[in-house]
Amino acid sequence: MDDVSCPDLISDLPQSIIESILTRLPIRDAVRTSILSSKWRYKWATITQLVFDEKCVDLSNDRREFEDSLVKFITRALFLHQGPIHKFQLTTTYFQCCPDIDQWLLFLSRNDIKELVLELGEGEWFRVPSCLFNCRKLTRLELFRCELDPPPSFTGFLCLKSLNLHQVLVSPEAIESLISSCPLLESLALSYFDSLALTIRAPNLKYLCLEGEFKDICLENTPLLVAMSVAMYMTDDIAEHFEQSSGCNFNRFLGGVPRLERLIGHIYFTKYLSVGDDPGRLPITYNYLKVVELYQVSFEDMKEILVVLRLITNTPNLKELQISGSSNTLAAIDAPDLDFWDEKCPTDCTLKQLKVVKMTDMSGVPHEMEFIKFLLANSPALETMSISPCVYIMDGRINMLIELLRFRRASAQAEILFIQD
Amino acid sequence: MSEVDMAVIKPEMMKSYIWLQTADGSIQQVEQEVAMFCPMICHEVIQKGMGSSKNYAISLPQRVNPAMLSLILDYCRFHQVPGRSNKERKSFDEKFIRMDTKRLCELTSAADSLQLKPLVDLTSRALARIIEGKTPEEIREIFHLPDDLTEEEKLEPLKNTTDDPRIRLLNRLYAKKRKELKEREKLKNVEAEEERVDDRSVDDLLSFINGDNGDSKGIKTSKSKKKNRRRKDQQKSTSANEANKNHSEESNGLNSVCHSSEVDQKIQPSIGATSNLQDVEDDIFANKNEFDDGDIDDEIDPALKEKIDREVEDFARRLNSDWPERMQEILSLGQERKAVHFPLNGNGSIRSRDDFKVRILP
Repeated sequence: MDDVSCPDLISDLPQSIIESILTRLPIRDAVRTSILSSKWRYKWATITQLVFDEKCVDLSNDRREFEDSLVKFITRALFLHQGPIHKFQLTTTYFQCCPDIDQWLLFLSRNDIKELVLELGEGEWFRVPSCLFNCRKLTRLELFRCELDPPPSFTGFLCLKSLNLHQVLVSPEAIESLISSCPLLESLALSYFDSLALTIRAPNLKYLCLEGEFKDICLENTPLLVAMSVAMYMTDDIAEHFEQSSGCNFNRFLGGVPRLERLIGHIYFTKYLSVGDDPGRLPITYNYLKVVELYQVSFEDMKEILVVLRLITNTPNLKELQISGSSNTLAAIDAPDLDFWDEKCPTDCTLKQLKVVKMTDMSGVPHEMEFIKFLLANSPALETMSISPCVYIMDGRINMLIELLRFRRASAQAEILFIQD
Repeated sequence: MSEVDMAVIKPEMMKSYIWLQTADGSIQQVEQEVAMFCPMICHEVIQKGMGSSKNYAISLPQRVNPAMLSLILDYCRFHQVPGRSNKERKSFDEKFIRMDTKRLCELTSAADSLQLKPLVDLTSRALARIIEGKTPEEIREIFHLPDDLTEEEKLEPLKNTTDDPRIRLLNRLYAKKRKELKEREKLKNVEAEEERVDDRSVDDLLSFINGDNGDSKGIKTSKSKKKNRRRKDQQKSTSANEANKNHSEESNGLNSVCHSSEVDQKIQPSIGATSNLQDVEDDIFANKNEFDDGDIDDEIDPALKEKIDREVEDFARRLNSDWPERMQEILSLGQERKAVHFPLNGNGSIRSRDDFKVRILP
């Protein structure tokens, strides 16, 4: 079948291109290319990225059988592989810990592994063997549902740039020391830890993503942080802890990030920041901060409002602001401290760059309206202010609109969009 | 409107051009910003100053034919404009990549030689999409691949037959035992050789002495010694292939005796009663008797002598008790395995191979 008129189109392309093609195929198809022709027999065996998931093997009703065939597939693939393996990814929902994973990790640790992603199923969490800590060249590590216990002799991953631990059982001291012993760490994501109290020292950290119940977070040494996304859940213990704590959370969290460009906070983030003594004047100005998104801000809590204002007034170059409210309308109707807006509100903060504002889940409570009024009055470059009322509010919408109409606008081009669902 | 027209209408907007030459010899000029989007061309211009005129046209790699070049330049022309949104770029890419497979492969090759990574990624993705989910026959059809694997090779499962951990363990153990055996044999062969060497040197000495002295008795003895030796050698060779180990074991015990270059008469009674041993013994004692000049020192100190005693006794015991059984086994194993089985425990009983397996497997 190999006539001169129909020459082989693809087998003689450089190996780098073949690898580029094979790594874009699901691993099963890539391995299958070994029976295409004699030239293709081992082309797949030198690819440096191995990505395994549940589509590698035929589905089966018997879970035991399915797991066995997946284990066999991966073991054989590793056994037949030649050369370094730079990326290994295993994503499953069924698979739990099993002794074969230890052997795979040992094999990988001897083959210059650089990126390791292990996402295992629910159930008994996999206890990561110590050979993982011998992977000197690791640049990216992602673990889902594992147990991590660094040995005392572990001195850190010197090349690690990205660390993502999701539902990982590890002691707080171990995490802290892991973070601080990875000098090149740029991206850190920690999710679903229980009541974690953490001090983060990562001089090269640029991206931080936290989600879970955090008792206490202190960004002690993160001068290069560029983007941060935090979702804080609250339990009763943590709430109590908050009430008793005295350190200023705002400063401890946001006091050392002058280069921040993007800040996203969910759920109890503003509440968390509001805890603690009054910080007074902020030590730094967020000159690079352009986008701020704060969700579930409770406008009935004066302290949370103060947090938001404090943040905004120290962000001279803010471009985009998005705030979603979560007010309990009944409680907020009384609205004590409403005179704050007339008397104590800072008047010298002009948001010269603010262009887009999005207010969602608005209930129309007094403090929310005053805040909107404040924004409109202090943003001469505003282009769009969109307001979406909370779905539960039906009657109060007209009142909201009436109030909105009255507000003075510093920007002549500002459009106010009232978005009904 | 061609570039030339544009240049005439708005002379202040005249662009600069780069001259490119493809492998077939044809030369064309391309707007500078478009051409510079290719790292290879960029390198040529900046590092080597090429491409500024027709005479100094940059020669493109062989894989870039004019058709491919024009495609690549279209790609560059679109993407080098900075203001485009991601969406625009994506939709351009999708449309751009629609071509037959042959051109796609050529394009990949050409883009790779110009080091234009975004285009290589795009085309690789397209090729991967073509390959994904198809049967091998379909893939061969599309890419004109020769179907040159034998049926066996195709059917050969992608599993390695030794990947059963128990079999691997067994193989490892066997390999280890075989290696040990080989080493021991080597040692014994060396020792056996040395022993023979020793004999010869004594013979030589004897004949020398006899030759000098003309002692008939000596000659006789030496002859008989030679005969004995021959007999012993013969026996050695016949049993060598089958019972090397046994013989070596004997020699081992005796060798320490020989090395001391004389024989202690006291050892004699403790040596075992096989015929081979007797022969060797006879030879040695014959020599000893001949010499008998007291120059030969008894260099075996008592401790070593005791050790030797014990070794020899041990060997003798083992040999005597297991000899028939062992002979049987050894004969049945054949040439390859020269008395494979070590006793697995200290007391010298031999276990069969199946027994061995049973101990390993769960």
